[in-house]
Amino acid sequence: MTTTAAATTSVVGFESVTKVYGSVRAVDGLTLDLHPGETVALLGPNGAGKSTTLDLLLGLKHADSGAVRVFGTSPREAIVAGRVGAMLQSGGLMDEVTVGELVKLACDLHPKPFRATDVLARAGISGIADRKVDKLSGGQAQRVRFALATAGDSDLIVLDEPTTGMDVSARQAFWATMREQADQGRTVLFATHYLEEADAIADRVLVLHRGRLLADGTAAEIKAKAGARRVSFDLEGEIDQAALRRLPFLNSIDVSGQTVRIQSTDADATVHALYGLGVYPRNLEVAGLGLEQAFVAITEAEEAKQS
Amino acid sequence: MNSLIKLELARALRNRKFLFFSVIYPSALFLLIAGNADSTAKVDGTGLTIPTYMMVSMASFGALTAVLMGNSERIAKERESGWVRQLRLTTLPGRGYVLAKTAGAAVVSLPSIVIVFVVAAAVKDVRLDAWQWFALTGSIWAGSLVFAALGVAIGYLATGDAVRPITMITYFGLSMLGGLWMPETTFPRWLQDIAKWLPTHAYAALGRAIEQSQAPRAQDIAILAVFFVLFAGGAAWLYRKDTLKA
Repeated sequence: MTTTAAATTSVVGFESVTKVYGSVRAVDGLTLDLHPGETVALLGPNGAGKSTTLDLLLGLKHADSGAVRVFGTSPREAIVAGRVGAMLQSGGLMDEVTVGELVKLACDLHPKPFRATDVLARAGISGIADRKVDKLSGGQAQRVRFALATAGDSDLIVLDEPTTGMDVSARQAFWATMREQADQGRTVLFATHYLEEADAIADRVLVLHRGRLLADGTAAEIKAKAGARRVSFDLEGEIDQAALRRLPFLNSIDVSGQTVRIQSTDADATVHALYGLGVYPRNLEVAGLGLEQAFVAITEAEEAKQS
Repeated sequence: MNSLIKLELARALRNRKFLFFSVIYPSALFLLIAGNADSTAKVDGTGLTIPTYMMVSMASFGALTAVLMGNSERIAKERESGWVRQLRLTTLPGRGYVLAKTAGAAVVSLPSIVIVFVVAAAVKDVRLDAWQWFALTGSIWAGSLVFAALGVAIGYLATGDAVRPITMITYFGLSMLGGLWMPETTFPRWLQDIAKWLPTHAYAALGRAIEQSQAPRAQDIAILAVFFVLFAGGAAWLYRKDTLKA
């Protein structure tokens, strides 16, 4: 496929999509495009709208306004054509059947199926094929769900928080399984609230916050943005706010009384420059921001830029 | 869809509790009720012996158990667990899930009918013409679709916690008041007046008409048809509501 074709053939297209529950705008005017072969992480804290976005993409929910297209058609048409394989976060499994039977069913239901034994092997669950589905650990169940999502030759694989319930080593082993899908040329879209997970697998990261797209870039770019830290200190006497605002790597600054609170993407450089102003900051504290706070920091920085 | 039907079936046949209640239990109940009954005594106003009368009741009861329990509880539980959502991400058409469930239950209901017949013929000397045996099997089996639809409706109405009590109340209410456990001629007059409008009553009446070599009464067929439309319509409406919400 040529680059021009890649640019024009969109795998997933959201156009000003909004989904409202009561007074909550779970997805708020979301516009995005996924391109063939990309591995994309949908990153955001809990309640950011990740699951709703994926549900809309898969046709499990319908947008209140805006349009969702998958391979240029409706989500349902894309699924019926066998172009989408998906794993839901809360995807329950049929109980009282074995893992092998369930995977066989998924293969039978797919228009372009792989052999069930291959699907089991690729998901790393050949060894538990005879086990009853209701006797699985959380991590094993996730792998079974993954097998259901990859039962056939789909062009897009959608995974909603695929490593939930896995410990660190299981998670890393699972990333390798996910990467294989991407290496075979598939477009992979997964939701996660671990920046680390997005960094390990994705070549593009979409940051979602309160149903809006906050940032869209490479994992490195997002890491730089979300790696913000908070610097706070007290100053005596007259505070030269204009000088403080010129400090490097500032996301935001808030001066209240004698206390200054700064969010910086490079706290070391900011603090260094602060001393360069010839002031004497007291009670200096530098603290990391959680992912959620980091996202808020990005939002505030974006809003500040716009105003 | 065939593969889902096959899997539903394998699962139903593996579930011992379900098999016991839908296949063994009706025959056991038949023996309990009709076991000591005189094989020549007639049930008032029917011209049928007690074992013959109870045979249809228990075969109907067994089929009802299989399709009602099989559908309602499973659907409610699988809706809650998210399996229904997962299936919507496959090529399976929306109705395929319900059809597979009903087909699975219907396959279990067939042996439950036949075993009651075999026990009645072997132990209580119930004798009918060959056409009557076939017609009975066919009508009880086909009639169970009415209750399969009811099971689907309950499955889409109830939550996972509430489904069992709701199913049980419906199931015992319909069985008892419809005269499946005891002839409704033993009911007080006012209760008989209510009972004759119940789908379970009409269901068993169809079978009895065959035993009496009579044409089924139009009223019974009409009652079953109306309930089928009601239950199936309700199930379809609840299904659509659930799909939009999920």
